[in-house]
Amino acid sequence: MFKKFSSEDVSAQNQVKASVQRRIRQSIADEYPGLEPVLDDLLPKKAPLIVAKCQNHLNLVLVNNVPLFFNIRDGPYMPTLRLLHQYPNIMKKLQVDRGAIKFVLAGANVMCPGLTSPGGALDNEVEAETPVAIMAEGKQHALAIGFTKMSAKDIKTINKGIGVDNMHYLNDGLWKMERLD
Amino acid sequence: MAEKPQPVRVLYCAVCTLPAEYCEFGPDFEKCKPWLIQNAPDLYPDLTKESSTKDVDKVTEQLQSTGIASTASSAPKEEAVKRLPGGKMKKKEKAEVVIEKVVRNKRKCITTVKGLDLFGVKLSDASKKLGKKFATGASVVKGPTEKEQIDVQGDISYDIVDFITETWRDVPETAIFFIEDGKKVPAA
Repeated sequence: MFKKFSSEDVSAQNQVKASVQRRIRQSIADEYPGLEPVLDDLLPKKAPLIVAKCQNHLNLVLVNNVPLFFNIRDGPYMPTLRLLHQYPNIMKKLQVDRGAIKFVLAGANVMCPGLTSPGGALDNEVEAETPVAIMAEGKQHALAIGFTKMSAKDIKTINKGIGVDNMHYLNDGLWKMERLD
Repeated sequence: MAEKPQPVRVLYCAVCTLPAEYCEFGPDFEKCKPWLIQNAPDLYPDLTKESSTKDVDKVTEQLQSTGIASTASSAPKEEAVKRLPGGKMKKKEKAEVVIEKVVRNKRKCITTVKGLDLFGVKLSDASKKLGKKFATGASVVKGPTEKEQIDVQGDISYDIVDFITETWRDVPETAIFFIEDGKKVPAA
């Protein structure tokens, strides 16, 4: 999704009004209860919250010009990888095997066999259509953020095709955009 | 309030910006190697073994060259064609100034100057100077593809070349091109 992405793709960015700001905070807090203690640091109540609208109905939530979250249409907010690296335990994790890393880093969606093979790991509680962190065999940090297409159980039983859509991965356009001015 | 979880500090490679452990899957692992040996030796034990046996000096040398003068002669062949993530090749952008005359309602035209920023010229200053010199409106405009260009009102292509070469000594006359009938013509 962010394979080709640069500040040029941002069509408008504006400071959102307080009520919208509250709604964004609320939905992020609901989505990531693990973030709650630090949410005040991440999204200070005082600092202006900026939402950048981009192509393909994509919204970026910026604080101090640093992109922290993104969402599509009215979908769930997902943290950027830099943020996820700082607070790795806020999302459910799926692990892919070593062979898949290369493809995920090229922007491919995660296929079921990469998750079910010996190098992969699944969290059984993951439902379909939820944002997840994609970890890799033998690595400490997340390499991508995905949006599941099937529940973990289905991934195991069907074991074919796309299991997780790749939303945001290391070294994609959003990763390279550390700041947006 | 519950205790705040401390943010994890992740070691990011200075060369390719990935977390150090993903360097091996990064765009250019070879270039990251010297940095990794210095900053994250435990992640890639093979690397340090390799280097300690013979060429520690070479590695540090390499590090300096990648850090300071990556465009220098160290690897000219690799520099010229930069690899994009999709495996596509991208040619390095040549620094040149392209001047184009765009006609609007028949007898009026706009001269656009592209690429001055590649010579380290500040576009806002440049547009001001151009406007002053030719006594017309001149503005910095976002071009079609993320490039910024200067639009000057009126047909000034006749002496803009002299003006550019005189005001900005870094810009050689050979790097200035006109676009005539969709073709690039060197100004010199």
